Parts: sequence; C-alpha cells; structure tokens
Amino acid sequence: MSQPTEVRWAVEVENFGKSFPVGWTGRRQPVIQGVSLRLAAGQVLGVLGPNGSGKSTLLKALAGLLRPSTGHCRILGQSVDSPAVRAQIGFLPESARFAPHQTGREFLHYCASLSSLTADQFKPRIDALLAWAGLGAAADHRMATWSKGMQQRIGLAQAMVHDPAVVLLDEPASGLDPDGRLAVAKLIRELADAGRTVVFSSHLLAQAEEICDRLAILGRGRLLAEGSPAELLGSIRRPKAEPTRLEKLYLEKIHE
Amino acid sequence: MNERGHNPLMASLHRVWLIAGQTMAEALHLRLTLLLATSGAMLVLMARWLRDFNFGSTELKFLVDFGLGMIGLMGTLLAVLATVHLFFNDVAGATIACVLTRPVRREEFIGGKLAGVMTLLAWFVLTLALVLAGLLAIREAQLGVAGVSMPDLGQACALIWLKLTLVAAMTLLVCSYAASQLFASCAGLLLAVVAHLRPFTATTGGLAWMRLWPNLALFDAETLLAVGGLSATGLLERIGYWAVFILLLGGLASHVFRHREF
Repeated sequence: MSQPTEVRWAVEVENFGKSFPVGWTGRRQPVIQGVSLRLAAGQVLGVLGPNGSGKSTLLKALAGLLRPSTGHCRILGQSVDSPAVRAQIGFLPESARFAPHQTGREFLHYCASLSSLTADQFKPRIDALLAWAGLGAAADHRMATWSKGMQQRIGLAQAMVHDPAVVLLDEPASGLDPDGRLAVAKLIRELADAGRTVVFSSHLLAQAEEICDRLAILGRGRLLAEGSPAELLGSIRRPKAEPTRLEKLYLEKIHE
Repeated sequence: MNERGHNPLMASLHRVWLIAGQTMAEALHLRLTLLLATSGAMLVLMARWLRDFNFGSTELKFLVDFGLGMIGLMGTLLAVLATVHLFFNDVAGATIACVLTRPVRREEFIGGKLAGVMTLLAWFVLTLALVLAGLLAIREAQLGVAGVSMPDLGQACALIWLKLTLVAAMTLLVCSYAASQLFASCAGLLLAVVAHLRPFTATTGGLAWMRLWPNLALFDAETLLAVGGLSATGLLERIGYWAVFILLLGGLASHVFRHREF
C-alpha cells in the first residue's frame, strides 16, 4: 500500500491567468496573468490591490467558481474541481445578499447540511458562530430585514460553519463597522492559530499588515509584490504623519 | 461524517433534496407566485360569468375547458418566470457561490432547482384544480346534471403538470447559459410557444429542427377530455415521453452549467 503523499502547500497557485470575453466578438481580454503563490497550512495571505486588479478573480478561481485560462490553482494539493476538496473550503463572496425569506439560523442550517454535517455536529457550532457574529438576537428574524453589515457577518459565519481547513474571504471587512472589522481581524488570526489557512482580499492596508503572514499586491493584471510583511517592508521606514509602511509600498507599486 | 456520507448516492440525493426544499420555500415567498396563483384562481372562477361565450357547448364543458386552459396558461407563465427568477436570484445574491463552493456537484444544483420548481408547479396545479373542482361541484348541484368525472379531471390536471414541468426544464436549460434574466424569460416563453406549435411543423425544411423539441400538444388536457380521457397505455406512453425529455433537458442543462463561471 502506498504512503499518502504529504501535502506541502495548503494553497498553491502556479502561473495563474484569467481572461474574459469582451463584446459580442468574444475577443478575450486578460484580467490577470502570471500569478504564482504558495501558502503553507496555518498561514494568512492578504491579497491587496486596486479595484479591477484581479483579487476577486483569484479568490473565485481558488474556490472553483472560475477556471484558470492559464496555469492552475490547487487547494491541499488537489484540484478544486473535486467535491472532497471543496468540503475543506469556506468561501465568503463579495457583497453577498442571502435568501430574504430565511432566518439567519435557517440559512446556516442549510449551508451546514450541504456540507454533509449532521444536526448534532452543526447545531452547537451554529449557536457559537451566531454569538461570535453578534447575531444571536436577530438569528431567528428573516434576513430581508437585515442590514448590509449583518448580511456580511452571516456570510462570514456560513464560510466557517463546517470548520474548513482553507478559508477564502473576499473583502471580509466590507460593510462592517470598526468593531466588526476588529472582530474579523481577530477571527482571521484565531483561525490561523488553529491551523487553518486564510486567504483574504482587502483594501485595509494597516489591518493586513498586522494580521498577515504573507502579502500579495496585484495591479495592472499581474503580481507586483509578494512576501512576508517583514520581507516587503524591511527597507521602508515610517516617518510620523506619513502613510504606513505598507500603504507606502502599496502606493509605490501601484504608481510605478 | 454522517450516515449519508458513507453512501455517495444517498448523500447526493440528500443535497438535491435540500436545494429543492430551499427553492420551493423561496418560491412560496415570491410575489410572482402569489400574483399568478391568485390571478389563476380568479380566472378559473370567472368562467362562471363568461359562460355565454361557450361556442355552443354545454356550460359544464365550457367551465372545464376554460378552467383547464387558465391553469395551463398561468402555469406556463409561472413555470418560465419562477424558474428564471429563482435561478437568477441565487446568481445575483451570490448564494450560488456559497452553494457551489461546498461539496455540491453542478448537476445536483440543477436537479435541486428543477425538483423545487416541479414541486411549486404541483402545488399551483393542485390549488387551481381544487378551485375548478369546487366550482364544477357547485354548478353540477345547481343544474342537477353530471359533468366531467373527478378521476378524468385529475388525469387532465396531471397532464397539465407534466407539460408545465417540461416548460420549466426548457427554461432551466436556457438559464444554465444565459447571462440576463430578461433574455432567459423571453427565450423560455418563446420555447414554450415553439413546443406548443410542434405538431404543425414539417418533417423537412427550415423548421424541421423544431421536431427535436418536446411536443407539448401531447399533454393538451382539454383535447383528451373531449375524447373521454386517456387509456392506461396512452397515459404511460406520455409519462415515458415526459421522463425522457426531463432527463434529456436536465442532463443538457447540467452539462452546460458545469462549464459556467461565476
């Protein structure tokens, strides 16, 4: 019997490129190309970049919602086309709005059931997640009445309801108040400390600098910089009343 | 992992069941469903006041024909519009991303959506059939004559349901590749018309391709009631025909949907 191959990288992106058809002629225009990244289990990767730089495209490809035009994306050493791998992924889409007829609790039940968990397994977890998200009081109200921030919180909860090994979050702090943003940052660190791998996109550079083990800056359709905050920021000093070190690097890279 | 997790088929059927339940629950909360069900019931009841336009047939026959016609017409609208609405609601709200990033196969999603819409259409046809049956029972008692038998009416409504589910499957096939809700609605309605007109197409020539499409005229309940209902063989033949096209359209929609990106 062969020994199972040890999975070295939790997330692996190699020469990833994606192009989309433009106009009625179907001519394909590349959005992003030549991106290669590797992330070990328990690490946090922050994907930064201006609007349209391909952050969501990269996350969707990692989640299996988009197929790479070039290269490949692997999660836990396997293609994301496999349902077994998808059982290990938690994904928060950008600006999600969920079924308005359902309550938050019903929605989490639905998501957990789709992940093949039994009620015994998911009920205590759902209660804990609702409490974490600050939605305990609203959990049995229909989501039609919920604010954008509450929708975002339930989105985060559904991404974690099945305790995935790899969590992909597209703009997790979008629509959240400062408390919510702090809670998300704390959650991401807690997930990493528990051995989970987290990839998230964000425009909040200071927060990304604090919580990420690795950073990737996308722009002009390619990967502009990638590495640990120490590697990327080591040479940049931060004078008072100036942008943060990461902000400075970000602006330098974007306007290069 | 639960018990179902050890049996891939059961686990797959369970996910289809979950998606169907979610689709049905969402459909019952749509204003569109309420609007079409209420309008349908009112139109069926209106037959009582439109009986002067009976073209020489008896009042009870007119009530049956008009009632079944309205169930078919409003049901076709519901089959197309609800299918499109339920599909694109998931796409626009990103619920689809939360579902498809779980261990859910694309064909399970399509199967669940179709099963959910089929259940909605069963509820719709049953509700309007009960309204029609109630109206007929009242008029039969008032006139003191017997009209159509309840088993024949039930068979007619079952045929309408089969027809509507085929319309829903055709629409779902369009949804599986369409980018716009408006396009999918228009195309779904157009395909329903094409499938109704299929008996008039020639075997050769420019319109011969239409013969690939299901023939919905086979499920015309009014025509079948006029000849005293279907034999058991005739009914089984139609169920077989329906099953083949449901599997064909569902399979095609799953195949197309498998390549779709979000």
